[in-house]
Amino acid sequence: MTNELAVSIRGVGLTYTTSIDKKPTLKSRAKSLGRGKKLTRVVRALDEIDLDIKYGQVLGVIGTNGAGKSSLMRCVAGILPPSQGRIEVFGSVSTLLALGVGFNPSMSGRDNVFLGGLAAGMSRDEIAGNFDEIAEFSELGDAIDAPMRTYSSGMYARLAFSVAAVVRPDILIIDEALSTGDAKFKEKSLNRVKELRSNDRALILVSHAMQTVRETCNDVAWLHKGKLIQRGEPNEVIDAYQEFLHLGKSAAIDEDV
Amino acid sequence: MSTPLQVYEPFKAGLPKLGRYGKSLWSRRTFIKEYSKSELREQHFDSVFGQLWLVLNPLLLSAVYFILIVIIGGTSDSARYAHLTASLFLFYLIANSLTGGVKSVTAGQRLILNTAFPRIMLPISALVIAIFKFLPTLIVFVVIKAIFGSPFTIEMLWAIPVLLITIFLALGLAITISCVNVYFRDIASFLPYLTRTLLYLSPILYEASALRPSLRVIEIFNPLFPILDSWSRVMVQGEAPQLSSMLQGLAWATGIFFIGTYFFLSREREFAVRL
Repeated sequence: MTNELAVSIRGVGLTYTTSIDKKPTLKSRAKSLGRGKKLTRVVRALDEIDLDIKYGQVLGVIGTNGAGKSSLMRCVAGILPPSQGRIEVFGSVSTLLALGVGFNPSMSGRDNVFLGGLAAGMSRDEIAGNFDEIAEFSELGDAIDAPMRTYSSGMYARLAFSVAAVVRPDILIIDEALSTGDAKFKEKSLNRVKELRSNDRALILVSHAMQTVRETCNDVAWLHKGKLIQRGEPNEVIDAYQEFLHLGKSAAIDEDV
Repeated sequence: MSTPLQVYEPFKAGLPKLGRYGKSLWSRRTFIKEYSKSELREQHFDSVFGQLWLVLNPLLLSAVYFILIVIIGGTSDSARYAHLTASLFLFYLIANSLTGGVKSVTAGQRLILNTAFPRIMLPISALVIAIFKFLPTLIVFVVIKAIFGSPFTIEMLWAIPVLLITIFLALGLAITISCVNVYFRDIASFLPYLTRTLLYLSPILYEASALRPSLRVIEIFNPLFPILDSWSRVMVQGEAPQLSSMLQGLAWATGIFFIGTYFFLSREREFAVRL
């Protein structure tokens, strides 16, 4: 492990307002006029988080649903600006967040890979240079030129993982994406993550699969309700987390689901 | 190791740093190009029949409206038809960037949730798509004008500034409406009524000079009015436009662009939690 800092998170808090209606409309706003009905809800997603990630580290981020794991990852990736504190990122970041690539389902996988890469700030040549490897790794075959709405969720996840893993960023964030796909692809992607571990790269792995975290990570952070509960040696933190869940070392949490 | 440093800090009310924003937008110009290209390809405008449809659609529209004019008793000579087609085609440039822009941000949900990029790219792409749809109709109009034997004059070069102001206006409208749609998703369903109203309030089915004095007030409150009037003067009559109309059109375009862009930029960091 080198001691070069990859990400420095200092006193970061994130509060945001979100609408209660899934789709806010003018109609619902007009109808609720004068009734004092609340239309938005304030969410406190992160609270005073301090976290340093060094190059060479493979950080596992664990916690129950709604703990703020994805919000923290979005802050590090620059997608959401924090409400308090400061985040410094030294290097290029590639994110593989839960939703993956492919924003336009009526376009082909190929178009989506190119557009996703261009939006992330890569050049056309850079993407073209990596494209064959991405297509091969995803094992999609001819389906790469079919519209993404025809993809199964496993195919979606495979393509998303391939993009993030092939591009070789300085800092790679993988958000709950290792658990999709069949057993064979899961193993392949896990091996890929292990391959990507190196002294000049930082990996952040958000996962509910404790066994994977134990095997892959050399550092674990446990978040709960927006707060950092514990940080340290994987087995120690995971044991504490599992005890907290009152599940002990049951099979249910060790399983890759 | 030389690594680029990025700092993310709380976002104080107001705008992001415009210099950096502009730079990162410029570095992603290929995205706008590729996105419009694949969007057009997906709508089959890269095929012969797709392009034929691009031309046929506005032609059919202008034919339908021409029948309407004849029936309700307007003049029905060739100059009238030329005015109708020229104005209608330009109107559709604005209408298409509105309809394309309205859902540009909400449809880009996946991308917005997973990638950091200047969100304003999405409505800009909608405008670029509208421009690509407009270009073939411009050729159609020139052919129609030639068939009618209408003279081509040097004053027709005024079409370039008029078109630039129109594009500027269309950009402002696309940015504004894409942002409004994040907060009120039913704007997209109101939009057809809005564009239809704008169509009737603009000098397309009638000529600006034929407007009753008591209705002159719409000239002031319709952002499209001065620019469509200038377009018809330049393209149909081959005259220079009135300077006052040009300035009025430019003022509308600038106003809408700056207000809409301010609104968009000061809100865009919230999009990820609002979608």
